[in-house]
Amino acid sequence: MLDNLTAAREQMAFSLGFHIVFAVFGMGLPWLLLFIEDRYIRTGDRVWYEMARRWCRAFAVLFAVGAVSGTVLSFEFGLLWPTFMERYGGVFGLAFTLEAFAFFLEAIFLGLYLYGWDRLPPRAHWWTGVPVAVSGMASALFVTTANAWMNTPVGFVEENGVVVSAEPIAPLIAPAAPHQVVHMILAALLCTGFGVAAVYAVAMLRSPVKRRDPYHRRGLALGLVLGGVVAPLQVIVGDWAVRAVADQQPVKMAALEALPRTGSDAPLRVGPIEVPGALSVLLHGRRDAVVTGLDAVPPADRPPVGITHYSFDLMVVIGFGLLALAVWALWRWRRGSLFAGRWFLRAVAASGPAAVVALIAGWIVTEVGRQPWIVHLRLRTADAVSDQPGLYWYFYATLVVYAVLSVSLVTLLRRLARSARSESRVLEPVP
Amino acid sequence: MSAADGILLVIGAGVVAYAVLGGADFGGGVWDLLAAGPRREAQRRLIATTMGPVWEANHVWLVFVLIGLFSGFPLAFGALARMLAVPLAVALLGIVLRGAAFVFRQYGGALGAGGGAASGAAGWGRVFAIASTLAPASLGYCAGAVAIGRVGSAFSVAAGALALACCAFLAAVFLCREAVVRGEPAAAGDFRRRALGSAVVAGGLAALALPVLAHEAPGLASNLLAGAPALMALSAAGGTGSIAALAWRRYRTARGCAALAVGALVAGWGVAQYPVLVPPGLTVAQAAAPEQTLPVTLAVLVAGFAVTLPSLGLLFAIFSRGGSGRRGPA
Repeated sequence: MLDNLTAAREQMAFSLGFHIVFAVFGMGLPWLLLFIEDRYIRTGDRVWYEMARRWCRAFAVLFAVGAVSGTVLSFEFGLLWPTFMERYGGVFGLAFTLEAFAFFLEAIFLGLYLYGWDRLPPRAHWWTGVPVAVSGMASALFVTTANAWMNTPVGFVEENGVVVSAEPIAPLIAPAAPHQVVHMILAALLCTGFGVAAVYAVAMLRSPVKRRDPYHRRGLALGLVLGGVVAPLQVIVGDWAVRAVADQQPVKMAALEALPRTGSDAPLRVGPIEVPGALSVLLHGRRDAVVTGLDAVPPADRPPVGITHYSFDLMVVIGFGLLALAVWALWRWRRGSLFAGRWFLRAVAASGPAAVVALIAGWIVTEVGRQPWIVHLRLRTADAVSDQPGLYWYFYATLVVYAVLSVSLVTLLRRLARSARSESRVLEPVP
Repeated sequence: MSAADGILLVIGAGVVAYAVLGGADFGGGVWDLLAAGPRREAQRRLIATTMGPVWEANHVWLVFVLIGLFSGFPLAFGALARMLAVPLAVALLGIVLRGAAFVFRQYGGALGAGGGAASGAAGWGRVFAIASTLAPASLGYCAGAVAIGRVGSAFSVAAGALALACCAFLAAVFLCREAVVRGEPAAAGDFRRRALGSAVVAGGLAALALPVLAHEAPGLASNLLAGAPALMALSAAGGTGSIAALAWRRYRTARGCAALAVGALVAGWGVAQYPVLVPPGLTVAQAAAPEQTLPVTLAVLVAGFAVTLPSLGLLFAIFSRGGSGRRGPA
């Protein structure tokens, strides 16, 4: 049987990994919906209207699962990590309090948006979507800020493990917050863009006639434009994030790059390839720059290297792959053959799942890379875990429930897509 | 009043709001489970269309209470999580399955539609109904355990049953009004009978729970009668008033009275227990977050509600209008 620490960590990893997938689509889709509905209101084109209504259905289901899986997390903070919450809840709680209001507004206006299509005039309906989109982004900002505070805890004074005073806005001034928040928000847009494009690419591959159908062409182009614009930005922000981690959490950086020894001329390892000096150059611009290695701290203070390093490499490789896909799409578009190539459509179809894999890999990097600390250099994860007997039962139950939900959700989304496809045959021709 | 008291007041108001609004949604699931008679499917449809636009907003009250508690009173949050791990996990299971099953049914195939989608939707309908029953019973059990400071007591069980009955009562009363607004007088009659029945059950359970409480936690019981007599009287008056209004078919009045009955009961519990957050001895002052953060947290709470409450009012106002437009989601 699993010990409490392993069970709690696995459960947290699993429930965060589950939630984050829904959270990113909950953040990205409203912006696409706003664009699509605006096009409909301005042009009166029914293709835009059908597209908005269909994505609305998918969004409603994704949001609901995101909302309940987010509730699970707020319970788990207490059920799995009571010591962590007792000690620091008052310090970083402000970020979550703000998040609660963002979530409130999101849920309220989502009700208006989803059920208001036939009750509100078109432009008024469009406006109910604006708070949904803005609150989704605000939620991400506050939650990621709380996580950034765990990576770079600031703004409080502790005596013998008891917080004696705290700055009211402690979580909002965490040094890791800026790059983490921007990286997270771009990741959400990236997943949404390539995720939407992938849905239409799959449909076009299955039924080539759809490559000339305006509904599918617009859907694919829309997703590709969003993903393609964000992909280069994400590479730049990723570089910023890596430099910040090297500065703020050097041992985490050593785990990302699997660097055993501190020294100059630090090598870059990607898979089996090792480029001497490259890491020093990438981080500091000079081969002779010293980079902290894992040996800077005792073994008990080092994060697990294997999973952190491979997740990091996976994320980076996918990130550059998506960038390459964006360039390919641009090139095809200039030649006027965006929807023609089978291999191009296959690549787009793969880009959606790949973006989600990169998202989860990135989350693993930041969470596992922070270990063995739950609050960096302040509280060990092992000291924060609940002493409730049989914690593994909660983990197994979570696995079973989420497995059932995942299978049902995929079945449901496929059915929604299928019904959309059969409807599209009777769609009126574009005027 | 200190900033900590102010935060507690806002969290307490959140608990009352969740008990009334979230409670009515759970109660909808209970009546889905107990739907019977020739208008069974019509009853279920009414419950689903009523809940559809508002259940997620109503659910956020719970998240708000949890977050308010760990930001304002982290020691109480930790102590409660340790004490209530098992019943909270059961409640959480109910909450997750309830929410997911509701949308899976809603978007997986319309109620009463034919074909393979319909059987899947019916299955999710059962999950929705059972989970909606499990969640409030477990949350009520947790509330009972908080009141007397330990799990596994007879009062916790009584509180769970009372919570379930209150949810069913609220939902039935609210649904009477919804049925009238939507032009379904027959369904209004069905829910009127259910409302009257559950009012009697809830009142009876409340009367039974009091001696159990007096036996297991005499201090709290005497506080409840001595410290919060006005709220207890309001609760009783609300319950009686809603029965009278139901008898006269004044459904709007009945709705207000029912909300008052349940809200005042929950508020009375809070007043009676103050300033103890977790019995026997963890008080507001001891459990509070570092002092400098409290005024800021309170200001954020006040500012936050200045934005969210009018929005919530808009949501309720738009969807309580009867008549116009096709119904159903997205």
